Amino acid sequence: MLTITELSVNYGAVQALSNVSIEVPKGEVTAVIGANGAGKSTLMRALSGLVKPGSGTATVGGVTITGRKPEDIVRLGVALVPEGRSTIPELTVEENLRLGGLWRDKAARNATQVQVFDLFPVLAERRSMRADTLSGGERQQLAIGRALMSEPRVLLLDEPSLGLAPLIVTQILELVSRLATESNLAVLLVEQNAVTALRVATTGVVLNLGKVVMVGSGSEIASDEQLRNAYLGY
Amino acid sequence: MTTFLDYLLGGLGSGAIIALMALSLVLIWRSTRVVNFAQVGQAMFTTFIALSIQTWTGSWFIALVGALAAGALLGVIIQYLVLRPVKRNDTSGAIIATFGVLIALQAAAGMIWPGGSQAFPQPFNNAGIEFAGRVWPISVYDFVVIGITALLVLGLTLLFTKTSLGLSMRAAAFNPEVAKLSGVRVSRVLTFGWALAGSVGAVAGVLVAPVSTISPNSFDILLVYAFTVAVIGGLDSLIGAISIGVFTGLVISLVSGYSDSGNAPIVALLLLALNLILKPEGVFSHHKARSV
Amino acid sequence: MVNLLRLPGARLIGHLAIVVVIWAVLLRINDAVDPLMSYYLALAAMYATAMFGMVILVGLSGQVSLGNGALMAIGGYVFALTSLNWQTVPILGWPWNPIWSMVFAGFGGIGVGLIIGWIGARLRGPYLAGLTLGIAVGLPAVATRFPELLGGETGLMLTVPYPEGGYAPAVADVPLDESAPTAEAVPLEQAPLDEVPLEQAPLEQAPLDGEGAGDDMLTADNFPSADSAASPAAEDLLTADNFPSAAATPTEIALPLDTALPTDADPIAAAGALLDSSFVLERWQATLAVTAACIIGFLALNLVRGRQGRVWRAVRDDSVAAAVAGISPAGSKISAFVISSFFAAIAGAVFAQILSYVGPGAFGLGLSLSLLVGVVLGGRASLGGAIIGGVLLVALPELVFKVAGERGWPANITDNAPNLVYGLLVVLVVLVAPGGILGGLKDGGKRLTTKSSTRP
Repeated sequence: MLTITELSVNYGAVQALSNVSIEVPKGEVTAVIGANGAGKSTLMRALSGLVKPGSGTATVGGVTITGRKPEDIVRLGVALVPEGRSTIPELTVEENLRLGGLWRDKAARNATQVQVFDLFPVLAERRSMRADTLSGGERQQLAIGRALMSEPRVLLLDEPSLGLAPLIVTQILELVSRLATESNLAVLLVEQNAVTALRVATTGVVLNLGKVVMVGSGSEIASDEQLRNAYLGY
Repeated sequence: MTTFLDYLLGGLGSGAIIALMALSLVLIWRSTRVVNFAQVGQAMFTTFIALSIQTWTGSWFIALVGALAAGALLGVIIQYLVLRPVKRNDTSGAIIATFGVLIALQAAAGMIWPGGSQAFPQPFNNAGIEFAGRVWPISVYDFVVIGITALLVLGLTLLFTKTSLGLSMRAAAFNPEVAKLSGVRVSRVLTFGWALAGSVGAVAGVLVAPVSTISPNSFDILLVYAFTVAVIGGLDSLIGAISIGVFTGLVISLVSGYSDSGNAPIVALLLLALNLILKPEGVFSHHKARSV
Repeated sequence: MVNLLRLPGARLIGHLAIVVVIWAVLLRINDAVDPLMSYYLALAAMYATAMFGMVILVGLSGQVSLGNGALMAIGGYVFALTSLNWQTVPILGWPWNPIWSMVFAGFGGIGVGLIIGWIGARLRGPYLAGLTLGIAVGLPAVATRFPELLGGETGLMLTVPYPEGGYAPAVADVPLDESAPTAEAVPLEQAPLDEVPLEQAPLEQAPLDGEGAGDDMLTADNFPSADSAASPAAEDLLTADNFPSAAATPTEIALPLDTALPTDADPIAAAGALLDSSFVLERWQATLAVTAACIIGFLALNLVRGRQGRVWRAVRDDSVAAAVAGISPAGSKISAFVISSFFAAIAGAVFAQILSYVGPGAFGLGLSLSLLVGVVLGGRASLGGAIIGGVLLVALPELVFKVAGERGWPANITDNAPNLVYGLLVVLVVLVAPGGILGGLKDGGKRLTTKSSTRP
């Protein structure tokens, strides 16, 4: 679904990503793991249009998304849940959700909202409360819900586990993996927490200093001790 | 006691106008984090345009609508040509640029409409209303001013809370990145915010002109009042701008009534300083601190 | 000031040498040119003095202030009041001398700067700009509240004190009024004097009885300064009210000085036997302004290039990092404010002597804005920018007026053209060359040198 080909991103003289190629198929979770500063967030920002890549392309179903603006990339079916539970705290839960699909027609948007409320019942309960009254886990659900409101074909998740209790992380990741299979969604998950990520991922990609150092199934990577020691630090 | 109430009533109209001008500052601050010090220059300019339209067509209503449109257009032009290209981290640059626009607009108005202070025709009776055996310190025109202000505030409230455009504007103001990721065309929304603010300021200008005079500099003091109000109200808060605006109108009326009109700007300045010392985040703001 | 002492001695002497050379050259120029040019030199030096403070405040410390015109008013009024009312220095009992008035003007600036700086140090950019904008509009209004002491709208006239045996014999007993004009003070004072009768006294507040109340919703009662803005003094933003003599009425001034009074001879004749025949008021004013500018420039140079300059820049660039390094951001910002107010007050005292007058119109929002314009155009990050800005503020209107005169533009175009140019240039500089003219020149120079050096 999402095909990344030789993508490079430079910040001034620093090359944050160099020639990264990843294939993210439909209905599966693909996890990108790596230490701090490996270029994981840069990859997400480049795919969502927040930073312009230096070279290389990314396509969704054959349509090139690189070089486009974030607001156009969303319309092509790629939704990012940025790092740090990015909801807008001043808006209510329902407003945050509405925001996610504002450009769609009202009927389609309302239909999706019903689905999101089914998926995250707690959001339905709190629909008229301000987002800053939610707990960390609820806000992460809201952030994912907002992304889903655009009815994406590709969901980009940047560090969803950050600052959440392990139990909640497991719940959220299991939900994401169910979502991938049930809605036939291509999910690209970026995680520092490799163990948790590889548990739900079909394929794992190890990133180090902006380069892909290994691609393999989740279990392959988890069992490669040398790799774990070298790049993942556990 | 009657005098006190009379002074209060007399301050309502000017309070409404100050509130509108403060509102236009708040609208721009919310969307682009810029205090638009050129705002009164824009309002002055569009009021001159309104005066020209009024002289031409003889209709106050057409003049008001013309100012509204011209205000929006001028806001868009300034945002597009001046504020958009300013580097995002150059706060000083943005402030200085708005003052540059103010200076240029005042000079341009002096060129286009020479002759110094000009009177703006009275669209409605501005004499105190006679009712229940006495003359009240409030006129038909005051009611028009208050009515138009109330309508605008109602319209803006509906826009922000009920419409998709309003939600986009709020999202773009609070977190442009998340707004973009949600598909909001942020730069267009910001430009619309400048247009809206330009229109609101233009209305304030057209409303104040008949009870004052109009010259390139005649709104300078209005800028000080509007800024004071917007800051005390919290710069982010529409409700703050409106309520503190009306409150300031009343205070100015009381100060002018009991002492001397010349003391009003000094009192406003003291209010501003006091607010900045005691509660710098403003009375109505959500945000905690605004200092370094 | 303490930081001055921390500079290596050689550097201090170097700075002193630069300043003394500039001072000597400017005084030579002052003696060589005609009185009108001396007058312009005085104005440019006065602007530069105030803008040295703007460079420190806006450029180095990163605080955009619109209040420095009002701080100049503090200096001007303190100077006027002390020179008009004091025969001896209070408490100390020493005979009064204009130097004391300058010193007290400086103290006045420091005092007010401390208060504003204390409030302002807590505020981010636009809040500070707005507060100082309020001060720029509000503080001159204070003068109108105390007509007996401060002269109200009309302001105070003062005789410019000359040193005995310097440019002229003492003329303190010469009354300064239109019927008995003093040398070339005539054209200079024409504008302020003319304004007096035009100026309406502040409108008496109409009591809220009956019809008057509704009528005056926003005029006299509630927007008092709107009517003061309509008065001639405040009519024009940058030029007219600031230099009522030179800029507002260029033809009036240029003619009597250039043609009718081409040399020193005529005005002196007009002044009668009271004055030494070599006396030219403008020349004394320029001497005074240039000397003040050089002293202040020397102080500024040492501050900017010393430890304090680094502190200001550090806080401007990253106040958190500076705080971690043990610098108090608030203290740094307040010190920038205090020093710039001190400079502004000295400039204000000089301005009072150039105009022979202090009044709310002369120190209005227009003056504050022109200081900002000057320093932004010249280059807000270095003292050279202040000097360029000072020259620009004087030369640009004259240039525009000259072109306008040649082309025969109507008055409304001519009068507003300088401000239009200023406004547009300010926007352009912010967008294209944030370093101002000086920054642009430096960049250009760098590009040239690197180009030639990289060329094979």
